[in-house]
Amino acid sequence: MNSTLTGAVAIYLTQVRAELSDLPPGELEDVLQDVTDHLTEVAGEFDTEPTSSDLQERLGTPRQYADELRTAAGYPARTEPVSQDYLTSGWKALRWGLIAGTVGPFFVAVSIFAWSHDETAFFGLLGLGVLFVAAFLGVRALHGNDPRIVLDTPRGAQWATAVRGWIDQLPPNVRHELVTIGQPVWWVARGMIGAGGFFALFGAASVTVVGAVAGAAVSIWIGRRTQQDRRWLWYVVPLNVVAAVAVPAFLAAAYVGASFGFLDNYNDYRGSTRSYEPPAKGVVVNGSTVSNIYPFDAQGKQVSVRLYDQDGNPISMELQDCATSYGNESRDTTTNLFPQAVVVPDENGDTGPDNCKETTKAPFVPPPAPATRTTSPTPSTVKPSGTPTPGVTLTVKPTR
Amino acid sequence: MDTSQLLKGVLDLAVLAVLRDADGYGYDVLRRLRAAGLEDVADASVYGTLRRLFQAGALTSYVQPSEEGPHRKYYGLNKTGHDLLARSTKTWNHFADTMSVLLEEEAA
Repeated sequence: MNSTLTGAVAIYLTQVRAELSDLPPGELEDVLQDVTDHLTEVAGEFDTEPTSSDLQERLGTPRQYADELRTAAGYPARTEPVSQDYLTSGWKALRWGLIAGTVGPFFVAVSIFAWSHDETAFFGLLGLGVLFVAAFLGVRALHGNDPRIVLDTPRGAQWATAVRGWIDQLPPNVRHELVTIGQPVWWVARGMIGAGGFFALFGAASVTVVGAVAGAAVSIWIGRRTQQDRRWLWYVVPLNVVAAVAVPAFLAAAYVGASFGFLDNYNDYRGSTRSYEPPAKGVVVNGSTVSNIYPFDAQGKQVSVRLYDQDGNPISMELQDCATSYGNESRDTTTNLFPQAVVVPDENGDTGPDNCKETTKAPFVPPPAPATRTTSPTPSTVKPSGTPTPGVTLTVKPTR
Repeated sequence: MDTSQLLKGVLDLAVLAVLRDADGYGYDVLRRLRAAGLEDVADASVYGTLRRLFQAGALTSYVQPSEEGPHRKYYGLNKTGHDLLARSTKTWNHFADTMSVLLEEEAA
């Protein structure tokens, strides 16, 4: 019945048809029959054949008309026709993304298994270089378009369908588990290995652990952000591809104990942490805690002294006398007066709060004083020993 | 308040209502709605609504030649359409009553 329409009305119909061209062909023909009927009736409202502006005044622009029809009929919103330009951009971006996601991680994996530190650094740099340059070119190829356009390219659509089909084959409960449990684990793993590996790769072993923790935090943040704003997904997916290559490579290298390349470096760092012991509380000599000090003067006679360190801070220890062991009254429980009184067990070897005895007598026989010292005529001018016994270190940590 | 905004929500009900007494073709339905006082109704949305109600199974459709010449596609209510109209009327009445009470309270 299109033949009954002429002039501006026929043009109007053609324009509406163009606006609805994305509808399924059968539906489109049915709808256009309705539109033709309608336009025929509308044309009858005018005494003379209506002009284009008459129709627009009466019905709105062809696009408005088509949109009203679309909304009322419950059709999906119009999809923009895909231009060739747009496809070229998408295909270029897809290619660069693939190079970034495969060649880059390949060299990074090579560097993880490399046989020496030099090769590790070389292949690591090469891999990261390819990765970032290709990623940059890929983003530039988009020409500011939404990264989603890569799915409009024939190859992109084909792959997306394949991936989608593969995901759909998983049972729903497995998919659910993967998302709820696997996703957070994956976020942490990719962040830690990504950032930690980066620092380890270039020998900055001291910041590897800090970098790994920071990387995990950033990765979790990106993950949560992506959940809220799906546009991020288009940049996160290629990074995930990179991580999907690098993380298993790293774990495999760690598992087979590749003790070369940067893991060697990493193990060196681990080894150095083992030799470092945090200082214990109190007074420590060569790693053993000292509980009391018995000073003797140059003549081998036991004396009572107060000890201070180089800054004038008292070198104090916790009291072990009767009052501290059994007393209830609160008092200062440290002193720098040595020797400190210690509780003496009674004849049965027992100690107790009743008739508690204490002593400052050394529990050992003092060794004979060194011969050189006994010749010194004046004990009052004894000079401090110039050279302490090698290997002996006195570590002092304040007790409070 | 813009009547066309309100119309979007109740156009289904209005179209069902004008088809209750007699079957009608698109332009006829449009004319009846205008005559009933719904001046702001957009032509294309009436055609779209008829299509959607027909596809939802609420309307019957048949083609009849007219005296002036062109064949016309008539729509009419079937059982589903009558049920839908009854339910929608109830919903609308309840809604309209609620709004009236609310607005009276506001004015008091």
